[in-house]
Amino acid sequence: MGAASVGNVPPEVAERESAGDLAGARSLLEQEARSNDASATASLAVFLDRHHETGRRDALLKWAEFEKDPARRSLALRQAVLTDFMDGKSVELTQDLNAYRAAGGQDFALPPKTAGKPYSTILIPGPLSSFARMAAVTPDVEPEDLLPAFARTVVTNGYQASGNELLQQTEYLKLVIRYLGQARELQGLANANHQIVIPTCDSEQTGNLLKILGYRMRGSCGADISLETVNPTRAFITIDSGFPLSDLERDLRGNHRFELPYAPTPMPVLYDAKYWLAASGKAAEHVDFIETFASDPGLCRLYLGLSHLDHATAEILKAQMPAEKMRIYAAILDFYGSMFQVRNGAAVVPGSPKAWGSLAGASPSSPGPFFEHLLMTDDGWLAGYFDALTRLGDGPTRNYLTDSEHLRRFYEALRGRITSPGPARPVFRATSDLLLLTTSLRMDKDGTPHIPGNLDVWRTLFAKHPHGKYDARLSKSAPGWRSKDDLLEGLFALSRKTADNEPLKVFLALNDIDRDRSKPLSADTAARLIADYRQFGSQYRLFADTPALSEASMLHYLDFCKSTMEIRDTLLRSDVVGSAQAVVEIWNILSGRGAIPVADQDSSFAAVVEAFGRVHAPGDLMGAARTSLDDLFKAAGDTNHGGRQDRLVELLVGQIHSGIEGIPSPGERFVRMFDAQALIPIDYLLAAADHSGKAALDPKAVKNMNDQIERLRENETLHGSLSAEEKNLYGGSYWSARHVALERKFDLETMAKNPDKRESHAVLAALLRDSLVGMVYCYYAPPGSQIMLTNPLFVRSHDFVGLEGAPAYWAATDVSNSGWPASAGGRLYGSLVSVPYVLAQAEQNFMTPRREQALIWSDLVPQMVIGVTIPRWRNVLPTQLRWVSLHIERGKTLIAAAGLDSKLMPDVMDALGRHLAPGEVDRVRLRLLAQDFQGAISQVPPAIFYAISEDPSLAAVSPDVASMEIAALASANRPELTEAAIARAFGTPKPTLTHSYKPALLYVRTFPALMGFSSRILAETWESNNLYYAALADEAGIPAAALDTYVPEWNRSAIENIYAANLEDWPALIRSLNVTASGVLHRTSGVTQQASAEGFRN
Amino acid sequence: MLKLRTHLRSAVVRKTLAFGLPIALILSILATGAWLRAQDRTTFQVRVDMVVLGFTVTDQKGHYVNGLKPADFRVFEDDIQEKVATFAEGSRPPMEVLANGELRPIRKPEGGDQEEIGAGTVDLRNSSTGTNVFVLFDTSNYMYRGFVYASDAIADFIRGLDRTDSVAVYTYSRNLNRAVPLNRDRMTAIQGLRHAVAGDDSALYNSLLLTLRDAAKVPGRKVVIVFSNGPDNASMVAPDDVRAVAEDEGIPIYVISTSEVTRDPISTNIFKRISTNTGGKSYFAKTWQKQVEAFESIREDLGNSYTVTYYPRPNPNEGFRSIRIELTSEGMKKYKIRARPGYRPQRTF
Repeated sequence: MGAASVGNVPPEVAERESAGDLAGARSLLEQEARSNDASATASLAVFLDRHHETGRRDALLKWAEFEKDPARRSLALRQAVLTDFMDGKSVELTQDLNAYRAAGGQDFALPPKTAGKPYSTILIPGPLSSFARMAAVTPDVEPEDLLPAFARTVVTNGYQASGNELLQQTEYLKLVIRYLGQARELQGLANANHQIVIPTCDSEQTGNLLKILGYRMRGSCGADISLETVNPTRAFITIDSGFPLSDLERDLRGNHRFELPYAPTPMPVLYDAKYWLAASGKAAEHVDFIETFASDPGLCRLYLGLSHLDHATAEILKAQMPAEKMRIYAAILDFYGSMFQVRNGAAVVPGSPKAWGSLAGASPSSPGPFFEHLLMTDDGWLAGYFDALTRLGDGPTRNYLTDSEHLRRFYEALRGRITSPGPARPVFRATSDLLLLTTSLRMDKDGTPHIPGNLDVWRTLFAKHPHGKYDARLSKSAPGWRSKDDLLEGLFALSRKTADNEPLKVFLALNDIDRDRSKPLSADTAARLIADYRQFGSQYRLFADTPALSEASMLHYLDFCKSTMEIRDTLLRSDVVGSAQAVVEIWNILSGRGAIPVADQDSSFAAVVEAFGRVHAPGDLMGAARTSLDDLFKAAGDTNHGGRQDRLVELLVGQIHSGIEGIPSPGERFVRMFDAQALIPIDYLLAAADHSGKAALDPKAVKNMNDQIERLRENETLHGSLSAEEKNLYGGSYWSARHVALERKFDLETMAKNPDKRESHAVLAALLRDSLVGMVYCYYAPPGSQIMLTNPLFVRSHDFVGLEGAPAYWAATDVSNSGWPASAGGRLYGSLVSVPYVLAQAEQNFMTPRREQALIWSDLVPQMVIGVTIPRWRNVLPTQLRWVSLHIERGKTLIAAAGLDSKLMPDVMDALGRHLAPGEVDRVRLRLLAQDFQGAISQVPPAIFYAISEDPSLAAVSPDVASMEIAALASANRPELTEAAIARAFGTPKPTLTHSYKPALLYVRTFPALMGFSSRILAETWESNNLYYAALADEAGIPAAALDTYVPEWNRSAIENIYAANLEDWPALIRSLNVTASGVLHRTSGVTQQASAEGFRN
Repeated sequence: MLKLRTHLRSAVVRKTLAFGLPIALILSILATGAWLRAQDRTTFQVRVDMVVLGFTVTDQKGHYVNGLKPADFRVFEDDIQEKVATFAEGSRPPMEVLANGELRPIRKPEGGDQEEIGAGTVDLRNSSTGTNVFVLFDTSNYMYRGFVYASDAIADFIRGLDRTDSVAVYTYSRNLNRAVPLNRDRMTAIQGLRHAVAGDDSALYNSLLLTLRDAAKVPGRKVVIVFSNGPDNASMVAPDDVRAVAEDEGIPIYVISTSEVTRDPISTNIFKRISTNTGGKSYFAKTWQKQVEAFESIREDLGNSYTVTYYPRPNPNEGFRSIRIELTSEGMKKYKIRARPGYRPQRTF
């Protein structure tokens, strides 16, 4: 069938579909299909299938009925079978499977029933919802995931070191254990039907129940009684566990019978309780399982370790090591065991089995002893190394690192001579740098690592260590380095240290600058970048964002950065730095979006920076900004002659007013925030500088300037009533305060009369800086930013100066003063280079979780926010939405096909295994065999559906409607559908992983939780949201042009619906996306008729 | 959420019509807005719709003075005397103030929006009587020890509210949780309160801001009652910026602190300032008994306050407009009036 589309879509149908009129499109298709023409019935079936609308199975069967071409008929029936399997409709599945086989289909059969993992059941006292609240786990997880979720929370939050280095239970765990006791007492009150019954207010049971709950009645039975606390410890647990106290009170008041089901909750336990209690050295008959479990963090980690593994591997390990022994190494198994896998009777290893046998002291051909040795050798370093290398996909990096010689050499460097403490000792993995190094290492065409510059510049860094010694041994050995391997060995050696690993950071930053450059950095430039890293390293993101920048422009920029530090007037320096950074950031936004053509990026960057390099006095800044902005407009092809302010706003966010009712457009949001910050349009300031007075100014400009300055003065009055204590503690930066104070003095009349223009220009320069910086803030602020709308000094308080001895001018952006009532509110300091992330971070606590647990992942949420605020969805095309939607559908149907086709199963599982851990793949396989498709995909991130649909090994197998539609689109060679274009539209920025805010899709395995700020990296490896939103938009028929308004709302909803058990609880994110999709599909259901939310859900 | 906004919008428009603003004037305002947009896409103008002003009058002994009539006082905005449109005392329904100072019931709009709203939820379109009370309860770690007693005191307060009042229960720690939306069903409110989960950090001022934003969307009289022991370790907004929002929206803030006055002087000062400047009150009640008394005092305040509305006369001041209430009778001059000192008109474009 080549690359032809499956159904011919008449132009008017396509038009309605892309305009969001799905009902109209369907109606037209149904009309056509009444003719019983095969092509028309196919078009309708494909349309309904794509939008997961009701009636899609019937439409597929009708297509099959009227289709003359046997191959297409088979395709229609096959699609019906896949649809039945995905929807879990077993009766229809059997019918359609028979029809498909009768039509010649040979590949599908119902999977044989296969036993899953061996679980037994324990009972925990009380209802699940109460336990989940107290244990801080989500009850939304699948039953077998409850105990691992609880185990992870116990490990991370249940214990703290006490003075004598012993672990002490935290208040959290004490409350859980107290709750279990109270729940057991309540269970004792329940009758044989597991119900607590209080027949009347004055019954004996009332007193018994209230005593357990820690309450008593105030007043005698009747309408006026209320319950009040008598035992605060018990009462706290009563409330915190969600006991329906108000229902009890209501029934007591009305003297009604109170009934509450209070049965113990069955909880699946891997293997059986005896196995785990034996590991803990306890006899099963004498202890309560859940309390023993919670009281033994080592046991919790062993449970986590074994539950990560696939069933076969876990059995081998269990047979090899008694539980008591394995518990000793449980932390290593928990952190580094998830990639353990056995295939064809041997352990799967990255590289040569012989080399691994030599390192571990046991051959991978005997997986039990091999894994045992991995766990027991060197306190976890070898296991951590194994884990990092196994996570790598096939390719030159893996080939290089797992080459026998490198394998041993780098391992020895990593392990060092003293192995204790190992990397699994802390609560989070201490191998962040190792994972970063192995994941981010780039290879040259000759299969060797890419070394920015040359070896010599790195040798100099280690040997001469301009900023202080990193490692005495490396400093000594560095002058003798002869090959790239020597440098890599040094980087591996530093990766074991918990201290700041600056050389690795510099190495990875320069690698990322080099990533997309047509010509790699020269040695001289690399040397300069290395030398300047500590002072200006955070700015290198600009170089990585735009590979078209020449080395001369980069060096020129660094010269400019340096030159600003020579401006003696601190206020002027911060105005120059702030203004220049703002215009450069706007240039960066426009370049990243393609508004400035690649060919002009270098020259325009140089021009933008050059203008600010000539500023020596406040008056110069106005001219510099004007020149710089005009260069920017020219580069962006903006030939309008209107005001600079409006032109800039439109370049950044498009038309200010949108036609979508109820949701402010990005332009409206921008303008509101700009005004809320009392900022003055740039044109007015430039005009004021030209005329140095009011006389020649537009009255509108005069009014605006006077109004905004008046608002600043009013704000001073607002904070003027502070008490003496507050004034003493008032947390403001000295220089920011002076900056704002200067602006408050601004007066057009005085300016006109004063012959000395220097003072006027100083104020205008300050105001101009704020307006330019405000542009950047308004652009990146998340929709509905409360800080921007509430604190009118937020932009003006940006502190570029920093603390004495620690200048912030060119440092990464950060937040200060949050949570300090005596302050003027939180503010940002440092340069503007990481404003997108930090603004999102500052706003995250304004999110309102929809569920009980206010557990918003502090590193994930800002990352999710910038995943939308940076790509913006402005230039997304309908074909791109369709492309993503089809790929995600193709990924799902491949998995469904694997469940029905035993020959296909290994290939699909292998493809999944390139992105998921073996235990996760095994889970998919077992669910498919149990004919539970929704269960199989419930924990597969949407990005993985996309990735496997692009997997070359699956390109030619199992053709379905989605794959044929993809082929039809691909055959047109559309530029918007290239890998790069899709990544640009739907990728996510990865500022810590790639040193760039450029959206990208890397499809790396999601990182585990790591120590330190590396949990940001964990968040950056989650790439699914935008792909999910794109597919959702296509399914719900949302026009592409409206997405920059809708997607931020969806994203907020997805964040607020997260109900996660722990940092690595990615399934919680999938669930929250599904809840959001349900809401969107429900709202658009009037348009899409009966589009089924379930159809979209994973 | 979108549905709620629609309700609110229709409530505002209908209320405006009910208060007798000429339709021609409304059309002219709308037309002016359209013209402004066509003229300049980013020029902001101030816009003031109806101003809702609550106040209490107390005698020299601190006793509430009841029974005042519109003729007993005058309202000034920046020294411009305003014409009072409606008047209400305590939880009684507001009355239209006629040109001669007499009162008459407000005409209900005919027909009306037939959209259904959820069972148990207050139909905000008709909530012209009573007070909309937003309770903001600190469930952070700082409240750990007093959590259950506080919950009891709040439950008592909710039970004792006037039946015309509506109540919303919000809780906060690091984030705000809208436990129960504005509602007249006391049982639902108490259920939400009793379902609160103890949290970790405290972002009091962030959460107070979000509560005020919600309250601002509700027509009629509203107050926010904060129950906290003071500390804030996670907010990004400053107390005085939040206070400004309350001033501008005309929402009195009552604070019940479970901390002693002398324990945390910073929080004490802030609590006093944000309550006084918004027309509310602050209480320092460490014990359960004191907390109950504080709530009793707030209930009294609500029951003994006056609420008037007016449409400001033309005023060139686009910044802070001070509000002054004067009692007309000489004999009343020594009485004390508590009201918000003023507001900043909303800016729009």
